[in-house]
Amino acid sequence: MSEYLYVGKSTPRTIETDKVTGRAVYISDLRRPGMLFGKILYSRYAHAKIKGIDTSKAEKLQGVRAVLTGRDIPEVRVGFLKDQTVLKKDVVRQFRDEVAAVAATSPEIAEEALGLIEVEYEELPAVFDPIEAMKEDAPLVHEIDARGRPVRSNILPLPWKFSAGDIEQGRKDSAYIAKDNVRTTWVNQCCMGTSGCVAEFDMNNNLTLYSQTNVPFLGKQRIVEYLRNIGLKGSRVRVVNPIVGGSFGTKLDTDIYEFIAVQLALRTRKPVKILFTREEEFRALPPRQPAIFEIEQGCDKEGKLTFRKVEAILDNGAYTSWGATTPSVMMMPISSLYRVPNVSFNATCVYTNNIYCQAMRGYGNPQATFAVETSMDSLAEEAGIDPAELRLINCNKPGELTPMRLKITTCPLDRCIKTVQEKINWKEKRGKRNGRGIGMASLIHVAGGARVYKSDGHGIMVKVDQNGNVDVLESGTDQGQGSPTVISQMVAEALGFRPEDVSITLGDTALCLWDAGTHASRHTFMAGNAAIRACDKAKKQILEMAVEHMPEIVEYKLKRKERKDPDFQMPDLDYSLISEPDKLDIKDRYIFPKNQPEHPYFRMEVSEVLTRGLHVGTGESKVVVGEAFYDPPTEMLDREMKGNYSCTYAFGTTAVEVEVDRETGEVKILNLFAAHDVGRAMNPTLVKGQIYGAAYMGVGYGLTEQLQLRNGRVMNPNFRDYKMLTAKDVVPVVPLVIEEPDADGPFGAKGIGEPGLVPTAPAIANAIYDAIGVRITDLPITAEKVLVALKKKAGEQS
Amino acid sequence: MIDYEYKIPADLHEVFTLLKEYGEKATLVAGGTDVMVKIRNTRKAPEVLISLRRLEDLRYIRKNGGYRIGGLTTHRMLELSNLVRTELSALHDAASQVGSVQVRNVATLGGNICNAAPSADTAAPLLVLDAAVVLEGPGGRRRVPIAEFFKGTYRTVKEPDEVLIEFDIPEKMGAFGSAYWKHSRRKAMELPLIGIAVSVKLSEANEIEDSRIALTVAAPTPIRAYLAEDFLRGKPFTDQVLKEAGEIASSSECCTLRTSLRCEAWYREDMIKIFVPRMAKLAAERIKSR
Repeated sequence: MSEYLYVGKSTPRTIETDKVTGRAVYISDLRRPGMLFGKILYSRYAHAKIKGIDTSKAEKLQGVRAVLTGRDIPEVRVGFLKDQTVLKKDVVRQFRDEVAAVAATSPEIAEEALGLIEVEYEELPAVFDPIEAMKEDAPLVHEIDARGRPVRSNILPLPWKFSAGDIEQGRKDSAYIAKDNVRTTWVNQCCMGTSGCVAEFDMNNNLTLYSQTNVPFLGKQRIVEYLRNIGLKGSRVRVVNPIVGGSFGTKLDTDIYEFIAVQLALRTRKPVKILFTREEEFRALPPRQPAIFEIEQGCDKEGKLTFRKVEAILDNGAYTSWGATTPSVMMMPISSLYRVPNVSFNATCVYTNNIYCQAMRGYGNPQATFAVETSMDSLAEEAGIDPAELRLINCNKPGELTPMRLKITTCPLDRCIKTVQEKINWKEKRGKRNGRGIGMASLIHVAGGARVYKSDGHGIMVKVDQNGNVDVLESGTDQGQGSPTVISQMVAEALGFRPEDVSITLGDTALCLWDAGTHASRHTFMAGNAAIRACDKAKKQILEMAVEHMPEIVEYKLKRKERKDPDFQMPDLDYSLISEPDKLDIKDRYIFPKNQPEHPYFRMEVSEVLTRGLHVGTGESKVVVGEAFYDPPTEMLDREMKGNYSCTYAFGTTAVEVEVDRETGEVKILNLFAAHDVGRAMNPTLVKGQIYGAAYMGVGYGLTEQLQLRNGRVMNPNFRDYKMLTAKDVVPVVPLVIEEPDADGPFGAKGIGEPGLVPTAPAIANAIYDAIGVRITDLPITAEKVLVALKKKAGEQS
Repeated sequence: MIDYEYKIPADLHEVFTLLKEYGEKATLVAGGTDVMVKIRNTRKAPEVLISLRRLEDLRYIRKNGGYRIGGLTTHRMLELSNLVRTELSALHDAASQVGSVQVRNVATLGGNICNAAPSADTAAPLLVLDAAVVLEGPGGRRRVPIAEFFKGTYRTVKEPDEVLIEFDIPEKMGAFGSAYWKHSRRKAMELPLIGIAVSVKLSEANEIEDSRIALTVAAPTPIRAYLAEDFLRGKPFTDQVLKEAGEIASSSECCTLRTSLRCEAWYREDMIKIFVPRMAKLAAERIKSR
């Protein structure tokens, strides 16, 4: 792998020194002149009519600049299915419904003003269980749809139906069949930085929104559309990212608080900041989509998968955000993890009066993979085949076209399985049932973009100044994953400069080209491919400049030497070596003739050429700038929900060793090996960082984390009762980076932001089964669930 | 808005003067890890906060015959003390598991006890170590056995004009081995789902000469499981005996277990059954390894 100078090296992260020394400006630090602070009043009921709101007391409070309710602003619908308004005027459908908002000169005054707003409610019957909500006589969460037509059912008009092959034939071909009921719950993304934004209008009604979004351009479009719909037709919108303290999916949709900040800023003509408290972060931010699965799959006598049939029910909550489209990703592992010819998948999203859901790392994949990989172990047990063996028998292979029409390019899944098998000492340790056990689970995930919009494009601009410093205007965002470091490595490699020469500016719709968003583990893949193309252009310009100006620079230097040193012999130089751009190259900031890289006169530092090229003196001055907009050659899902929506796919396998205390039900992770197909690691330290972080998040998902909802209310909106793991709960994670460069990836890279989380929970569940012989199919696997299952098993045996 | 006056008296005398001046309006604050959190959560503050932070001479761990621990001794001091670790092991177990290092650096033993949460980690060890609480008020000093200190959830017998000075642990408790188990879902920043402390003294014949069992989160206040202690006295130190003690301790005759959002009652009951024997054994091992 030594053909590259910078990619593949663990270059230290650059802007992080500002973060750890407290200089980085997060949204919580950002202040604009005259800025006001906004706060939101949420509903007191899960489902109720608003009979009246009295804001007069709040308005009189000193320091309050505006109080808004649904009656004060145009009733414009927002969201993916346009099923909600910004401030709810007549009906609230969940506890987090925004009923009123205040802007004041301090957050404390705004908070106090909220307490002075009097809202009269009339409670309505509510429904909290998606299965109950599907029944005919269930209370309706929505009475009318976005177009004003009456709604008859809580089932969303968003059917997810996928089928390939023939399930009945598959069933006939099966020697063994396993059936499981699997359930996952709400978990919060737990970003270190809480949500917030600053909205600011100029006197021409142009808006600057300092937003943490990781879809600046789609986010901008939503705001533009909103402003248009409320009557501000000519308004321009600029979305700017501050430093962002984590996203994990939370910044994929434009949240209601952002629209509220816009409304408060518009009303007060002042910049308005809304910053969530941690409690709000738990109560009012859409968490991961929960799901209920019924999964059935079969295999023949040799262990070859014959069919897989999955029915899913998704509790959509009261409104629709990106939780409702997670089935588009669920169908990827369901149809394409391991080779299975006959597949059927139906998902039903149901409105309830619970909190609504959003994206979170893995986007539907962790839920579906928990179902698929739990079922793989059940099936292995049925068939009497070692679970690792069953996975190897059905392993995905390079070049295959899956039932969903995903085109598998590189695929070292067998290597991943075998690597963790060896590391965890699979053959020796499995099947002891002595309280210690091992288990594994694999994954497939998009790793070359994800065409969920008609453009999956990504833009980049590379400009080089006379000093040889490179400014990259990058259309993605950095939410802490370290993209600027990786992009500077890739730009340096492509341009022939050094990573330290490259500065990255990202997340600004006024400066950068369009991008579909920093999601779906796509940033490195997209930015890299765009960077290679943009750098090609910039490099070509530099080389043309070199051809133009190198001879005179060389001659000038020689003459000066001659003047200073009387003994100097003028060399006889072969200028044809540098007579055409194709004959030159740049590496490590030096331009040189390809045929003679170490040439004593023609090897030249780039800034010499760049300076001369900019300051020509004849009207021929030039600057170096290259741009590229890369849209990968992928397909949207068609009507049958099939299509190659990513350029390449990442695979991986996690193996876990656990110790289960049969008396307390506690699960301790002794070892966790995570082997991941990354194409080529652009920055091994950052790749491992992604795997560590994602694996820990997966351990939390598997064992401890859950938002506890009681009748729609989040009961544990704090880190005391929401059991995110702490530094002391660290488990020994060993990341294993499997490299098999992908032809479509920049320098061979695949995306790795999400995969580490995906197989962790099922690997733990499978290890628990190996340890004590009980299968927990309901996340998180708490000590209580383990004990109940053990007692049930003991009862059955006695 | 949350607002209060903040006083930092230099000595006890000044504390009493301030307490007299402000009476019911004032709240004492030591490390602040309970008081400040409560103010933030309830968005209500007393009119005056009187900080005890300058009373440095109330931070000590001493052995002179019996053991004396100053009311303002921090959890971190207990955690780092060899004396506490070897001779008052249960207290060491509890103190070193409260919150995080940052919390333990400021949170005080007196504060943990005066807050009187049912989940107060250090209460169970102090109960099995027979600690006495020394209070000082305008009328002088008085001693209250810790088992009589808690009146109810977040309520104690301490009068508003009194200050908790120290904890006295009798010399004879040095001959006991002790251990505390905080049962929780993660290893830091936790409250116990249930807390179990056991102290035992064994005879030469491996009989239980004496023992104490205390529980947190098993009742409105931290409690002793007297019936289980009585059962153990004079019995051989065997698995069967310990198991029965666990059953008695977890029964409704000893505790009033509740189902809450954090944990269901049946699981708390099960854990008392499991950890009374486990902690008794650990306590016994600790005597041997001294």
